[in-house]
Amino acid sequence: MQEPAQVLSPAPPPRPVRPRRRFKGEWLTGYLMVMPATVLIGLFGLFPIGYAIYMSVHRWRIRKGGFIGLDNYERVLGSWGGAAAFFGGLLLILVAHWLWTTAFRGHSDWRRWARLAGALTLLSAGISIALGWGAMTEAGEARFLSGLIRTTYYGFLSVPTQIILALIIASLLFQRLRGSEFFRMVYFLPYVTPAVAGAAVYGALFSPRDERPINQLLGWFGIPPQDWLFEPDPVLELIINGVLVRWANLTGGEPIEVALSGFWAGPSLALITIIIFGIWTYTGYNAVIFLAGLGNIPKDLYEAAEIDGAGQRQRFMHITVPLLSPVTFYLTVLGFIGTFQAFTHLYVMRVPATRDAVDTASVVIFDTFYKRNDFSLAASQSIVLFVIILILTLFNQRILGGRGQ
Amino acid sequence: MKKFFVLLAALGLTFGLAQDVESLDPSGQTVMFWHQHSSERLAGLEAIIDDFNANNEWGITVEHEYQGGYGDIFQKMLPILGTSSTPNLVVGYQNQAATYAIADGMVDMTPFVDSPTWGLTAEEKADFFPGFYNADIFPSFDNQRFGFPPNRSMEVLYFNAEWINELYNAGAISFAGAPKTPEQFAEAACAATENPFSKAQGSRSLGYQLSTDASRFASWTFAFGGNVYDYDANEYSYDSPEAIEAMTFLQGLFDEGCADFVTERYGDQTDFGAGNLLFTVGSSSGLPFYKSAVDEGADFTWGVAAIPHTTDEPVQNIYGASVSIPTGHSAEANLATWLFIKHYTSVASQDTWARASNYFPVRQSVANEMGDYFAENIAYQTAFNLLPYGTTEPPVPGYDFVRDLIEGEMAAIMDGSDVEATLALANGEANLILDDQLSAMQ
Repeated sequence: MQEPAQVLSPAPPPRPVRPRRRFKGEWLTGYLMVMPATVLIGLFGLFPIGYAIYMSVHRWRIRKGGFIGLDNYERVLGSWGGAAAFFGGLLLILVAHWLWTTAFRGHSDWRRWARLAGALTLLSAGISIALGWGAMTEAGEARFLSGLIRTTYYGFLSVPTQIILALIIASLLFQRLRGSEFFRMVYFLPYVTPAVAGAAVYGALFSPRDERPINQLLGWFGIPPQDWLFEPDPVLELIINGVLVRWANLTGGEPIEVALSGFWAGPSLALITIIIFGIWTYTGYNAVIFLAGLGNIPKDLYEAAEIDGAGQRQRFMHITVPLLSPVTFYLTVLGFIGTFQAFTHLYVMRVPATRDAVDTASVVIFDTFYKRNDFSLAASQSIVLFVIILILTLFNQRILGGRGQ
Repeated sequence: MKKFFVLLAALGLTFGLAQDVESLDPSGQTVMFWHQHSSERLAGLEAIIDDFNANNEWGITVEHEYQGGYGDIFQKMLPILGTSSTPNLVVGYQNQAATYAIADGMVDMTPFVDSPTWGLTAEEKADFFPGFYNADIFPSFDNQRFGFPPNRSMEVLYFNAEWINELYNAGAISFAGAPKTPEQFAEAACAATENPFSKAQGSRSLGYQLSTDASRFASWTFAFGGNVYDYDANEYSYDSPEAIEAMTFLQGLFDEGCADFVTERYGDQTDFGAGNLLFTVGSSSGLPFYKSAVDEGADFTWGVAAIPHTTDEPVQNIYGASVSIPTGHSAEANLATWLFIKHYTSVASQDTWARASNYFPVRQSVANEMGDYFAENIAYQTAFNLLPYGTTEPPVPGYDFVRDLIEGEMAAIMDGSDVEATLALANGEANLILDDQLSAMQ
């Protein structure tokens, strides 16, 4: 049966939309869509930062006083020249990295010179940071600047350790071991344990008393009990003195006692104990994120590598690690931001006996605000910490982010 | 326009404050009370509040909220000082009230206390322990009263009476009973370290555990006849000869192995209860906890005494939070708040409160009502009898920050730092902090 012939009438021409009106409509819709998030972020994210800056440039001790400009920043940083040298040195590291890795990438003739320039820039950065820091510590807020050093110890000792341990744990759990779900939960548990409760238990485990678990454990290896959270001396000093005492015992001589101080003396045993707590808390969380990343790596890459004769170690180093770079970048950035802002467990675990040996920058800021009641100084300290975290994030973006893309 | 309204509000507030207290009408006001009390203390407080709400003739209603510890309340108060968001009544230490006062955040209670209509009679005023009553009058703020005491505690020496007897009978010490002088204290502490208690539940044996606490520093300095604050010069005196002597004494105990730090939360209480520790110094409000520790531990006879002293009479460190009226409320509301404070510190309420909280009542006549309680709690009565020998720590702004500083230096001294040099430095820094705080008042 023949279908009735369709009467084809010419389609009405599309209603002309004036491009300008369409653009306006999209523009409006777009802004309406982002408005709620913008308002919320602005209110709870940007406004407090702006308000902190406002507080920092006023005399503000409980009640607001007059405008004092950048006086508080000068109090914190000690000298503008020193601060410029220090922060400039940090930025020079980024320049050095750019020169070393990116500059003149396509010009092999120039590459050697770029690397030489990179090395020289790095050297200048080191000198600039050292000189700048020296000038800052001479006249700046001693408590805050020492707090920054401790924050650096805390971040640089805990984040890499967390990442490495988490990667190892994730790789093991990814092998479809029996009961891997159970272990996944167990490793994640510290992350969801309330910081205060966890810190209290750690306080008992790392008690200076001889009969407490960790000191008992040391006893099995012939190591004397330690003061842990009550020990303000640098861990390096304790190790060296321990070795010297043993040496003196062996040789029958008088033990020499070494006292270390300054940045290179390293963190106190009390801070190391808290770092261990931080590692315990976040490693499981990182491992779970790494597990998700491992699941996204195509299996055929491993199969191809296996066919080409790559061993397990080579597959891990040349496939797993590079392809997990975005996850590593994410965890590193979050890790550093988190450690530089860490507060609760540090505050709970600190004891007067260590004086300020575990007071990181955020603890110092809290004390400046609530105990010293100097709101504006605390605000300026917060802004300085904020800038440092920002620079650190830039570092991560530059060094790890590039690999992740 | 905004400035106009601010001016108007300020005028209204000034008018409210300047109004004659006698002509105010507190009827129908609601009073919000922020405090830190929980469990048995909360029950006691609720009984007092319920009684007031049911029986006050003005129809005032008191509501209360637990707002965390002293530190939490202080942190919550700072950002809202001077606004109507503050509670009508708040718990706080004297130094915290001084900090609030810097921001004009405290109401001077003097007009209410002295009011012929609403205040206390001369007889009632005289019933308060003088030290307690005057502790909330601030010389650095023109003698304004920024608080009123509902309770107090005292630093006392807890001692294992049975162990001391054992030591005395064994000839290890030359005296019986609680030590009265630092020399006796040291003698017993060192003897205890060498001669464990017969009922001890562990192998550790120690004379004294010191918690590095600024109140402990003050207690020992008081006991050596000194003070941590020079009220004439209005500055800290942490480097006074008495403070140096007290710290040197404690350092000596550490050096000889007769004393050590408290290394766990309430670790001294636990060790004391287990019969492993002869002495500890702590707040009298901890009496029930020590009792439990001993009852559940080595179960021995124990007691409390004055801190061993070099002075003729004991000098005891008395402390405790007061209640204060923050600004930001109408004069009628402030009066209603005062009327509740008056009820809270009445003899009947103090009897209820002392029993529930184990704090000391602030009125002397309350002792007449508490005979049965004293009979059941001999240690409490012993401590109560020491109240006339009380003195206090300085009620100055920024004291919390100074406390942290002193606690750190105290630990350094016990670790072997030079006492004189350490205290000289610490005192200098403490006074810098004080100057910094007081400069905000100008």
